[in-house]
Amino acid sequence: MEGVLVLAIGACVWAGVAVTAWLARARPRPAVPVRTTVVPAAAPVPAGATAAVPAGAPAAVPAGATAAVPAGVAAAAGAAVPAAAARRTAGFRLAGVITGLAAGGTAAASGLLGRGLLLAGPVFGWFVLAGVVAGEISVRPVAGRTRRAVVEVRRVRDYLPRGLATAVAAATAALAALVTVTTVTAGPDDLGRAGRVLLLSCGPDSWQVTGPWPGSFYSVPLAVIVAAGLITAGSALRAVIRRARTGADPDAMAADDALRRRAARTITGACGILVAVPLAGSCLVSAGALLSLSCRPAWWTYAGWALLALLIPVVALIGWCAGVLLAPARAAAVAPSAG
Amino acid sequence: MTARPSLTVDTSDPTPPYEQLRRQLAELIQAAALSPGDRLPPLRQLAADLGLAVGTVARAYRELESAGLVSSRRGGGTRVSATAPSLPDSERQRLLHDHAKAFVRQAALLGADEQQILTAISQAMATCSPAS
Repeated sequence: MEGVLVLAIGACVWAGVAVTAWLARARPRPAVPVRTTVVPAAAPVPAGATAAVPAGAPAAVPAGATAAVPAGVAAAAGAAVPAAAARRTAGFRLAGVITGLAAGGTAAASGLLGRGLLLAGPVFGWFVLAGVVAGEISVRPVAGRTRRAVVEVRRVRDYLPRGLATAVAAATAALAALVTVTTVTAGPDDLGRAGRVLLLSCGPDSWQVTGPWPGSFYSVPLAVIVAAGLITAGSALRAVIRRARTGADPDAMAADDALRRRAARTITGACGILVAVPLAGSCLVSAGALLSLSCRPAWWTYAGWALLALLIPVVALIGWCAGVLLAPARAAAVAPSAG
Repeated sequence: MTARPSLTVDTSDPTPPYEQLRRQLAELIQAAALSPGDRLPPLRQLAADLGLAVGTVARAYRELESAGLVSSRRGGGTRVSATAPSLPDSERQRLLHDHAKAFVRQAALLGADEQQILTAISQAMATCSPAS
């Protein structure tokens, strides 16, 4: 069964690569002569100072000079580049979501003793993240003879959606805490598979066993794939802030910032799915196991109901993240019309 | 909102890109457009924005560090030094006159009269004003 899972995921990866390769195919833009002008820094330079266009600096293009600049790069068509970049990154994101749905669905239908179901969310999130990274990498820096950049330091926190990021961080902490406890308390099942059931001593010679229980049998592969996903998310966020600007004029920069915010929002949403789906599963399974033992201590009952109560915000978070991933256009409302 | 200073690199200019960057950053620092403690863009970010190699930007930063204009710290990025010299007022005035003369000469070569020159300056100021 695991072989089938690997084959299916491999097929999904190849499908994703094929789609991204198709999307990445550069459409040649005609190089047209575009009149460029000297653009001095609009900085708070004291009167008399010469900041961005130094005396004799070679950066200044003589007034009236022409340079062969791709049409989409010209300042006059500043919106064209963000629109093209928006289309391309959205295409990659969509490819990531579709591939992730296929891979996650395949994972859910496969796997041993419910492992696949537990890993479906993280697998989906990982593919979405891969799509975002591919989209960001596909944004090329402004070409042409004269290039301009603003003196700025872009930071991840400037683009992250605060509310969603806080909720995802809280869910990650909750998952880590829950899985640590369940891993420590788990025992082997009747076939000797470690970390698969919960054992409770009800008397000198009496034991009750319940399962499945999210012990090491489930938590180890889960931890590996969630950690890989979070590392990928970190790399994706770095790719988002480090990729080249699509233009240096204020309109292009505003559109470019909107693109980055949308990418950061997608990454956060993917992380939310990556974490919240296994958290919901762990809560449900743990609560069911705790409440199924008849000789349980009283506090296990409270713990079981607390885990069930935790399901409500976790499911809400899943819905929030799914909305972010499937309806990302709202975040891009600032971007120029994609035409 | 105050507009941020910018850097321009002309790849067809015989001056190497790192020197173009170094000169513009030095002028921004000396003109106090970048204040002591201000952080310069990370190497990779600036290199990506300008479509240059990271080593090119790194060299410009190294030259500025050698001149005492910036200081680099592991994990803290590159910042404008607290001791970075700024231009005295007399030097600012001199540079302003030099640039004005160069501009007027260039405009005259293009055949512009006084009114056209003044209009061009007004338009440029409207475009580049920090308040715009």
